[in-house]
Amino acid sequence: MSLVLLLNIVCTQQVVNAFFYEQYAKVIVFAGLNLVLFPIAVWIYRRERNVE
Amino acid sequence: MSMHEEEKKTKSTVPYDEDNYTHNIRKDNERKLDRRSFLKTMVGAAGVFAVSTLPWGTIAAKHLINPSKRTYPVSKIADLDLMKVGDAVEFAYPGEHDSALLVCLSDNEFKAYHNACTHLKCPVFWSKEKEELVCPCHHGLFDVRTGKPTAGPPKRPLPEIELSVEKGSVYATGVKKYEAQL
Repeated sequence: MSLVLLLNIVCTQQVVNAFFYEQYAKVIVFAGLNLVLFPIAVWIYRRERNVE
Repeated sequence: MSMHEEEKKTKSTVPYDEDNYTHNIRKDNERKLDRRSFLKTMVGAAGVFAVSTLPWGTIAAKHLINPSKRTYPVSKIADLDLMKVGDAVEFAYPGEHDSALLVCLSDNEFKAYHNACTHLKCPVFWSKEKEELVCPCHHGLFDVRTGKPTAGPPKRPLPEIELSVEKGSVYATGVKKYEAQL
């Protein structure tokens, strides 16, 4: 889970960086990655909850 | 014994007969931050990250769909006959607070850059003796022909301004697209 959060931070940073350099394709890739990370986080949470 | 006296008495006594000072820890609330709610918070944070990148993504998508080139005004910087080789002129382009520097390299060769140092935005000056752009704050040096940093703390090149020479004057026509050169 903390790995997911770390990836979130990295992706957000990359989005802002790419945006600054006007590399818009890169922005979309990292924004998409960030969006995908949320369902992964939910999935990890559910898995942990069901174990308990 | 009146109420007042009773209250006074209870206040003056030692409230807990123990020596470890842990009476302020309430067991009921100790499980407020357990594993599950911590994970829930993490999921929420992931959601916040996801939502916060949405506007960036949409703006980027908009730019990709219609790549409308940013248009810059054409503005006159200096007259040719007033500039000698090795001279530099400071001007503002495109906005009045975007200060820039025009350097005359040879008779018909000019280069112009935004003169905010890419390290900490100090103004960059033209050094005629060294033939380099110098940032006096931390001794950053930039190559005048490419705008790339050659020494000191700056790691990124200066943004270059597109120029055109017409009818004895130098005009600024645009700002070159800034690419990462790391």
